[in-house]
Amino acid sequence: MARLELNNLHAEVAEGDEKILEGVNLEVESGEIHALMGPNGSGKSTTAKVIAGHPAYEVTDGEVLLHLEEDEFGEEIEIDEDQRTWNLLDLEPNERAALGIFLGFQYPAEIDGVTMTNFLRTALNAKIEEREELFEGEEGDDEDEADEGFETSPMEGPADEGEVGVAEFQEILQEKMEALDMDERFAQRYLNAGFSGGEKKQNEVLQAAILEPSIAVLDEIDSGLDIDRLQDVSAGINALRDEQGTGILQITHYQRILDYVEPDHVHVMLDGQIAKSGDASLAAELEDKGYDWVREEVYGTA
Amino acid sequence: MSTTQVHANLTDEQVREISGNLDEPEWLLETRLEALEALEELDMPDVIRTPGRDWTNLHELDFESLVDPLNAAENKDQVGPDEVDVLPWAEAVDEHEELLKEHFGSIVDPQENYLTALSTALFSTGTVVYVPEGVDAEDVTIRTEQNSRSLFNYTLVVTEESSSVTILERQSTGEEQAEQYYSGIVEIAAGENSYVQYGSLQNLSEDAYNFTVKRGVTDTYATIDWIEGNLGTQLTKTEVSTELNGDSSETQIVGAFYGHNDQHFDLDVKVWHRAEHTTADLVTRGVTDDVARSVYEGVQDVGRDAWDTSSYQRENTLMLSDESEADASPKLIINNHDTEASHSATVGQIDAEDLLYMTSRGVDPRSARNMLVEGFFVPVLEEVDVDELREDLEDLVAARLRQRT
Repeated sequence: MARLELNNLHAEVAEGDEKILEGVNLEVESGEIHALMGPNGSGKSTTAKVIAGHPAYEVTDGEVLLHLEEDEFGEEIEIDEDQRTWNLLDLEPNERAALGIFLGFQYPAEIDGVTMTNFLRTALNAKIEEREELFEGEEGDDEDEADEGFETSPMEGPADEGEVGVAEFQEILQEKMEALDMDERFAQRYLNAGFSGGEKKQNEVLQAAILEPSIAVLDEIDSGLDIDRLQDVSAGINALRDEQGTGILQITHYQRILDYVEPDHVHVMLDGQIAKSGDASLAAELEDKGYDWVREEVYGTA
Repeated sequence: MSTTQVHANLTDEQVREISGNLDEPEWLLETRLEALEALEELDMPDVIRTPGRDWTNLHELDFESLVDPLNAAENKDQVGPDEVDVLPWAEAVDEHEELLKEHFGSIVDPQENYLTALSTALFSTGTVVYVPEGVDAEDVTIRTEQNSRSLFNYTLVVTEESSSVTILERQSTGEEQAEQYYSGIVEIAAGENSYVQYGSLQNLSEDAYNFTVKRGVTDTYATIDWIEGNLGTQLTKTEVSTELNGDSSETQIVGAFYGHNDQHFDLDVKVWHRAEHTTADLVTRGVTDDVARSVYEGVQDVGRDAWDTSSYQRENTLMLSDESEADASPKLIINNHDTEASHSATVGQIDAEDLLYMTSRGVDPRSARNMLVEGFFVPVLEEVDVDELREDLEDLVAARLRQRT
């Protein structure tokens, strides 16, 4: 079990002093599905990016904590008592990923020349390796670290096999792609390059399925999806929760996806804060009454 | 600007000695002597200028001390399949004099500029590749390892009708000296309906200077594809170009470079459309790091009679450091309206969003950056037919990335 905790989180754009988050409080636990809703510019995407460690935002106050339990990463990794709470703001994005944070991007990058297979296997192995370093700390010699991971060629994959070898990885990938109803040819394509909007979103869910995060923040994973793909993606998200116990923070504008991925909790964000929280019925109420209703209720003005 | 230095230390006798050692006929000696004499009047090749700035200053080079005409120590491999003639220059002079008479100096004018003339007067090593009609040949390899202060190299490729050949030429440095000069001229005459892929990998010492002109001429339905890889030298000035003289002929010019430390690359890519239904595709990708500089000029010149021309050009430079510099000017000259053409150039840095995307999945920042750089070269590498060239380019890029601190 893991728990992501945002306390009084304040953030602004790093270049400039535009305040975007003004005291966000939120907790997401493994196995829970949270929907984070709100109008454009309310701070939903910024919340996601700050959790992942986007360099464009500066946190000015508050904290982002990740609480882990002893057995979060299985039997092989022992988590001492003093290593169970991490302040994510002190960590690099790849270290956060190693601790089990996943950000599904609203606009996934297109990376030409790097195949899906090579990228994902590199990521999976890097994550395992980084996790060992974070918890065991014995391979923390910087020079060793610098020498590793450079044997990668975009066409052939790392010469150094890493924890998960090529053959083993192919199996994992194939299985997860089948589960998501993805064409196996995707594996040899370059990462998101020339993918349709829907294919990119499907690919985000696939990557989450392979990296098995403790907490997945999915930023508008539902935008631009047709109904068939929406169902595939939704099934993928439900599987993350049901099969891997991932906690989901789902950012969305629309009620639509919530018909397929039923949230345990719904939060409404306004002006950089969580203005209102409730259960799934809150989403339905929002659909009827709009965000102004929340604004009115919370601030007493429309 | 004509401050070109004439070599006080270059003499007719030296040129006669070089020519005599190769057992050259009188007409070749004359061509060399005329080139030597012309040095006095010739200018350095054009370099790219941007307002207020000459990017490459060839006049600064001290040719007087760089050029050592009678010492041309090298290691050379010239190999190819049996159906093709891959001949050292002296043997070619002996066996193919008529061929040389027809083509030598016909594509790159020996007196085009100071450096082509110098090369013509002094070249002491060379290769002639002759592909007879209907022959398909792969794996012609010409390796030159320079062990002397200066080395002047010449290559001629002639393909007869409906033949094809893939050639890999590579230059490296054996015995390193504080300053070395490599000069190379390559001429390709592609016969009717023939195909040539000429790949080049320049990986000379980083103390070396390099001047190279590679130019091909196509007959009807012929194709010349160039791959131009530049990794070595402190200063490289190259031109790779094709004259599309035959109807329905094609060319592709693919370039890859990676400059670091204080390396300087001045790269010209040119195509002249001179016949009907011709196609050209110019694609160059390069990386600059540290305080390296690259300056690229690509010219697509569509002549008045070049009806139904297709011509495309793309150049992308990725700067890995704030202190490196890159300039790119793609140029399109159209004198026939029946042309479909595009040209573009970009200079940029690694995209922070791309990097975050990768690191947020667990890849450490250095590996992510290296994957992005290696991936950046992939569209260019995919065009390489010769496995050895593609793999070596990949390895050299990977090794250079690994060196980064």
